[in-house]
Amino acid sequence: MATNAVNEFNQQVKPVSLWADAWKRLRKNRMSLFGLWVVGIYFLVALAAPILPLYDYTEQNLNHVNLPPSLKPAGVVAVAQEQKAIDQITDLVKNQGRADLQPNLDQKIAEMAQLQASLAADPTSNNVYIFGTDYLGRDMLSRVIYGGRISMMIGLVGTITAVLVGIIIGAIAGYAGGRLDNFLMRFVDIMYGLPYMLIVIILMSMVPQGTNSTVVLFVAIALVSWLTIARVVRGQIISLKNSEFVEAARSMGAGTGRIIFRHLLPNTLGVIIIFSTLQMPSFIMNESFLSFLGLGVSAPAASWGTLVSEGVQGMELYPWRLLVPAIAMTLFLFAMNFLGDGLRDALDPQSKNRA
Amino acid sequence: MTEEIILQVQDLKTYFHTDEGIVKAVDGVTFDLHKGETLGIVGESGSGKSVTNLSIINMIPNPPGKIAGGQVMYAGKDLVKLTINELRSIRGNKISMIFQDPMTSLNPYLRISTQMIETIVLHQKLDKKTAKAKAIDMLKLAGIPAPEKRIDQYPHQFSGGMRQRVMIAMGLSCNPEILIADEPTSALDVTIQAQILDLIKDLTARLGTAVILITHSLGVVAGMCDTICVMYAGRIVERGPTTEIFDKPKHPYTQGLIKSVPRLDKTSGDRLYSIRGQPPNVIDLPDCCPFYPRCDKAMDVCKRKYPLSKDVGNGHAVSCWLYTEAK
Amino acid sequence: MMKFIIRRLLSLIPTMFIIITLSFFLIHIAPGGPFSGEKKLPPHVLANILKKYHMDEPLGAQYLRYLNDVILHFDLGPSYRYEDQSVNGLISATMPRSIFLGFVSLLLSVALGGAAGIISALRQNKWQDYLSMSVAVIGISVPLFVIGPVIQLIFAMQLHWLPVTGWINSRAGWVTLIMPAVTLAFPYFAYIARLSRGSVLEVLRSDYIRTARAKGLKESVVIGKHVLKGAMLPVVSYLGPAFAGIITGSIVVETVFQIPGVGRIFVQSALNRDYTLIMGDIITYSAVLVFANFLVDVIYGFLDPRIAYK
Repeated sequence: MATNAVNEFNQQVKPVSLWADAWKRLRKNRMSLFGLWVVGIYFLVALAAPILPLYDYTEQNLNHVNLPPSLKPAGVVAVAQEQKAIDQITDLVKNQGRADLQPNLDQKIAEMAQLQASLAADPTSNNVYIFGTDYLGRDMLSRVIYGGRISMMIGLVGTITAVLVGIIIGAIAGYAGGRLDNFLMRFVDIMYGLPYMLIVIILMSMVPQGTNSTVVLFVAIALVSWLTIARVVRGQIISLKNSEFVEAARSMGAGTGRIIFRHLLPNTLGVIIIFSTLQMPSFIMNESFLSFLGLGVSAPAASWGTLVSEGVQGMELYPWRLLVPAIAMTLFLFAMNFLGDGLRDALDPQSKNRA
Repeated sequence: MTEEIILQVQDLKTYFHTDEGIVKAVDGVTFDLHKGETLGIVGESGSGKSVTNLSIINMIPNPPGKIAGGQVMYAGKDLVKLTINELRSIRGNKISMIFQDPMTSLNPYLRISTQMIETIVLHQKLDKKTAKAKAIDMLKLAGIPAPEKRIDQYPHQFSGGMRQRVMIAMGLSCNPEILIADEPTSALDVTIQAQILDLIKDLTARLGTAVILITHSLGVVAGMCDTICVMYAGRIVERGPTTEIFDKPKHPYTQGLIKSVPRLDKTSGDRLYSIRGQPPNVIDLPDCCPFYPRCDKAMDVCKRKYPLSKDVGNGHAVSCWLYTEAK
Repeated sequence: MMKFIIRRLLSLIPTMFIIITLSFFLIHIAPGGPFSGEKKLPPHVLANILKKYHMDEPLGAQYLRYLNDVILHFDLGPSYRYEDQSVNGLISATMPRSIFLGFVSLLLSVALGGAAGIISALRQNKWQDYLSMSVAVIGISVPLFVIGPVIQLIFAMQLHWLPVTGWINSRAGWVTLIMPAVTLAFPYFAYIARLSRGSVLEVLRSDYIRTARAKGLKESVVIGKHVLKGAMLPVVSYLGPAFAGIITGSIVVETVFQIPGVGRIFVQSALNRDYTLIMGDIITYSAVLVFANFLVDVIYGFLDPRIAYK
């Protein structure tokens, strides 16, 4: 049909595909469009991180410890920081009779001299840390970006694994029905009964010390998180299995595999996409949760959770160390959730589980 | 049926404001309902039958819906203009409704007794005990066996037909003047349909209740109604006494509808007649006869202007250019 | 109803059995034990230790012994790491605090979340709706371990309104409960608010609400008597997962606010590879959770007349 077909009443009768229709609805939803942009930028930055002009996220610089966010060169910030400390102690010694602090003051002044001496000689003192530095003098901006790479990677790999396992098991259970379905779903029920983060914690605790825990983490998170997808896919397949179009396909002699892959799965695709977008932030949260407890990725790699956890130590004096990774992570999670909500409204307008 | 008019719907317009445009679900509907009369409204799905009746007791979900014009005169008052409190004293009391799907129209979490008694207590100011006795009486009238026992059960313990009997009992429990039945049998088995229709006919005749029966089935209106309104795309295209409509249908749409009813007395190998095409989308419909693309007798004027209603005698009116002189 | 409860109660037994078995074998296939850690022990000392904990026996025998101890004597064995302490002792000393904290949080999230959701639905697209749904989005997107430290930073360290850490038994008393409970309740408040908003809206569109309105009932009666009961059912069935989430979340909250609860014991045991303690924690957690799910089902059965008669 022509793109601008008009019927007898001068009404547009342009046929729209499900996806075009969904895209139209998504575009109308400002928050999810914002989410889409933010997620896009995050992924772009994460992909491009190695070629971006960033300081090495592992590079420690003891002259630049705990510097606040600033657009000035690090040397200047460090000197100002040191000067502030000296002023404070001087005030204590001179005006409040704390003569016992005199040795501290001397030490600070000596440090100051050393710092100023290194200013000219050390090229790193021209570094600019717009998000400040951590307790080892590492650039927070670069730490947050590389932390994001790890978090997002775990979210992505976890989601893909969970979705694949979930689809396969859900499709088999839903299509086969009977005993197999019963067995699989009983198993899923029992797994559901377990608090799944606790299982991941156990799995993480079983990793021999010294192995690369990131890989184990991928597996651990993905292994226990296919349950929901499996249930959803199974439910969809069961409800679709008895629908007319599948009957029609079967009556025309289509085989089981063909029915599942050509007819049933494409029809559950919307639900799977929605679930994946909503699942990814929860993976990221879970990984960060483990890293926060010290059971996540191992050093020197750091995820957002590791950074938040490090930031919590000493957040009273150096709040940016907590706030920078916290905000970076939260913004991404917000965007993912907005995007997921938007996709759900767009792809599944009659959705009943609009929680 | 007497000559006393109890409900007068005049040029009623109900529009829904959607993203795609204004849906004129009801666009200038006019009809009268007499005391004790049974009036049938027939039309395809989407023709505006249900919206018309929800508009009568002003139950259009707003937004997106809105009664854009016209009046509904009942007992000297325009229901469209009443406050919500005044309307409430009429709803369920003077004008009550029963709906299409008895499976979902009763609250699944409350006992039948609770749901019936609350209406009676509200409108008839009876105490709970008397109200319960009245409810049991109504259930008995509606043909529910052992009503004393069943009244304390939940809806899911009733079959579809039984639930519709409960709905009818509930709808008639305050002796309303008007009962609006919105496709009361469409969701039921064919064998149950006749029983339910008989029940409605029998009970309302006994209680002197006027009925507005909404249906897409000509067979139902033929057996039940005194008067018939045929709706198409938000308008009443033809209305008149049942015998008139069936014997001398004027509007090509009505003629088509009647021709497309399968008949046992015509057993030849003829194919069953069907009206070609689809009912129109009522968003931003231009001022024309909405039926013309499907009409065998369409003329040039049909595409330009909607015809006014023309009285053809015996209380029979039709909106079609075949019977109206174009100006 | 009684039959339903008993049948549901009996189904708990195989579930618990499977959980005990799974966790036992999961732990025992792990490479390395609690004593293969940092420093190498002399062989005879190691042999002694293994004997003491019956770890020199075949796996099957160990499993049967463990089953016997757990099921018949409710004895979860000794802790490998905390010498002379039993797992039972460690858990029973810490569990009540975690349960109390979790219970308070659950109550908070249900009461406030339910109220916010209902108000949002009834004032759809008004400021009340936008406000509660914005707060809910924050609750869903921001992880606990960010919320906790941030409110600590604001309310304890900057404003000095509340103590930074501690528990009810400390000098500060009951006010120590505020931040942990609010932090822990927040995500579930958010979920429940969104869930109940959605389900109230859905029930409002249902046929039986149209019937109730057509009967001329007052809007307050329609909402209070006809809408709420049906609309709260999804919230009730969410209580099970919510409780599981709160149990997991309490691990973080106990760490952030330094509450001596079972969550911290659990993390410690995981970090220390204290296997009996890990198993004990898992079994206890699962028992609590399984029982909570059972309670939820029973409540659901009471609320929805269609369940009990099946």
